[in-house]
Amino acid sequence: MAAIKVEDLEKDYGKVKALKGISFEVKEGEIFGLIGPNGAGKSTTLKILATLLSPTGGRAEIFGYDVVKRADDVRKLISYLPEEAGAYKNLTGWEYLTFMAKLYAKTGKSVEEMLELGREISDLGKRLNDKISTYSKGMTRKLLLARALMVKPKLAILDEPASGLDIVNAYVIRKNIKNFARSEGVTFFISSHNMLEVEFLCDRVALINEGVIVEIGTPRELKEKYGAENLEEVFMDIVENTLGGV
Amino acid sequence: MGDFLTIVMKELRHMLRDKGLLFGIIVVPLLLYPALGHLMQVGMQQAQEETKVVLVNFDTGNYGNLLIKSLEIAPNVTVTRIEAKDLQDAINKAKEKDYNVVVVIPGDFSTKIDANEKTNVEIYAIFKSVSTGIRESVSEGRINAVVNILNEYLAKLKIKNSASGDPEAILHPIEAQSYSVIKDRVVEVSPSIVVNLFSAQGLSIPIIILLMVMVVSQMAAGTMAMEKENKTLETLLTLPVNRLTIVAGKITGTAVMGLIASITYMIGMRYYMSSLIPSGDSEISLEALGLTITPKGAILFALVMFLTIAFALGLAMFLAIFAEDVQSANTVVSAGIMPLAFPVFVLMFTDIETLPAVFKYFLMALPFSHPILAFRAMLMGQYSSIYFSIIYLAILATVMLYITAKFFSTEKVLTAKLRFRRRT
Repeated sequence: MAAIKVEDLEKDYGKVKALKGISFEVKEGEIFGLIGPNGAGKSTTLKILATLLSPTGGRAEIFGYDVVKRADDVRKLISYLPEEAGAYKNLTGWEYLTFMAKLYAKTGKSVEEMLELGREISDLGKRLNDKISTYSKGMTRKLLLARALMVKPKLAILDEPASGLDIVNAYVIRKNIKNFARSEGVTFFISSHNMLEVEFLCDRVALINEGVIVEIGTPRELKEKYGAENLEEVFMDIVENTLGGV
Repeated sequence: MGDFLTIVMKELRHMLRDKGLLFGIIVVPLLLYPALGHLMQVGMQQAQEETKVVLVNFDTGNYGNLLIKSLEIAPNVTVTRIEAKDLQDAINKAKEKDYNVVVVIPGDFSTKIDANEKTNVEIYAIFKSVSTGIRESVSEGRINAVVNILNEYLAKLKIKNSASGDPEAILHPIEAQSYSVIKDRVVEVSPSIVVNLFSAQGLSIPIIILLMVMVVSQMAAGTMAMEKENKTLETLLTLPVNRLTIVAGKITGTAVMGLIASITYMIGMRYYMSSLIPSGDSEISLEALGLTITPKGAILFALVMFLTIAFALGLAMFLAIFAEDVQSANTVVSAGIMPLAFPVFVLMFTDIETLPAVFKYFLMALPFSHPILAFRAMLMGQYSSIYFSIIYLAILATVMLYITAKFFSTEKVLTAKLRFRRRT
């Protein structure tokens, strides 16, 4: 069964068409990247898959569950990390993780297991006992990633996981995602406008521009097809030559 | 239940650590209100302390001296006699000595009294600045009281000399004895005292109730808006928790904080109000008038309050959906709740039954009228009207909470926005 199945998905915000009928599938255990410039429709796609927005047309399924009709079932399988996510500033990092673990885990033992994993992924050590309001942007993002992954979802939906972070923090986060995917076999659906990040992380990618998916394949396939050195060049080639320039 | 409690505990923990919120619900009502009341009390006490009178006597007869002696033995009045050429001179001298009242006894004072003619005493209160003038008002009252006693005394003296019989009975042949009938029982208390007592309740209860409604509403909207402002809402909405549980958890958490706020505000307001109303003025209590609160009445009133707060919380949460941050949430909530709350202030001064039918039903349609009406009905033991309030509020609160929960289960919770700034 496909982890994600999207068919002719459309989303309008009033007169603005954010998605113009996109279709793709993500296999279980895959790290799939959705890449494109700002405003291409990446976050909208992720929000629909995370049951936050309803599509205007088409449909999307997560492990066979329709994201609109079976939203409650979908939420049990996913973990979503928004691009501009924050955490409850008056709580400590540990209290935040505990709050989240209790909502996912149904037994005390699994809460403890989740917290242990959360502590490991966040790599925040004793700082977990400090209030989140004292955290730097990088620390907060690590905490949020730990929150998203410690529950071992069947599908992790991460919107720009390393956005706005310095090189070191971005590198640590990408490495954590890759290690976690390998060790736990979790399916990842990641959006990014950073083509190099996606190339490093993803098994397969879809390139989206102005609400339309313009290419899907493995980074290697795409680079070979367009004779490019990296995905950035692939993307620019598609936009400039196939679509008549930007 | 587990998810619900987890969310309630998170809400409480988060709010209890919010310094701004704690300042608003602990420091303001428990420290600032009583402090403000105390300050006003100090001002009033200072005004009551002593009336310093500069007295100029142009009279050469006995009655002028009698008035001076009466003033001298009057409590809290210090009289200093001075010699002055005229009024301006007397005022200047009073100012020099920091006295606030000048009393002038005219030259023909005794002569006119002897001749059974009306005479007068001039009282000048000196205002040194634009203030409330409590001190000047108290001073004038004290001198008037002395003059009244002297008037009575002189009148009785004259009656005694010229007529037979009891001077008191001649001077005041008719005396009205006033009683009040409350709940079909005759109470030996004049209607004016009862009205004073009622109006003290009538003023404080609506203010306390509406203040409480505003505080919990702002708090509820604040927690919702905080989720948007801190970018935690999207994560919250993707958790494997029923949306209704999220709304209920947030509302319950806020309601607990609201309860704490209500108690602190009631204590604070009580201190503040008691500072303004001098003690010992009225020994009459509601109980003495037969207006006792029965356990049944108290439970019914508590139910009305609970449903009112539930409605307010539901409405505030709903309104907060349209706000982008805490600041705009406060604006939206004020704009949404104030129009429902303000007309209720009419009930501070009016009995709803005396209003024209249109206004009466308009006020009864407003949810925030019902706690005030229920409070009065509770005192009067009219439980049937409280039952009506409970049913009406239960319907309103259920509909409001349903609408809010429904909105939460749609994407509108993320996309609905009211714009306050003009687009550029």
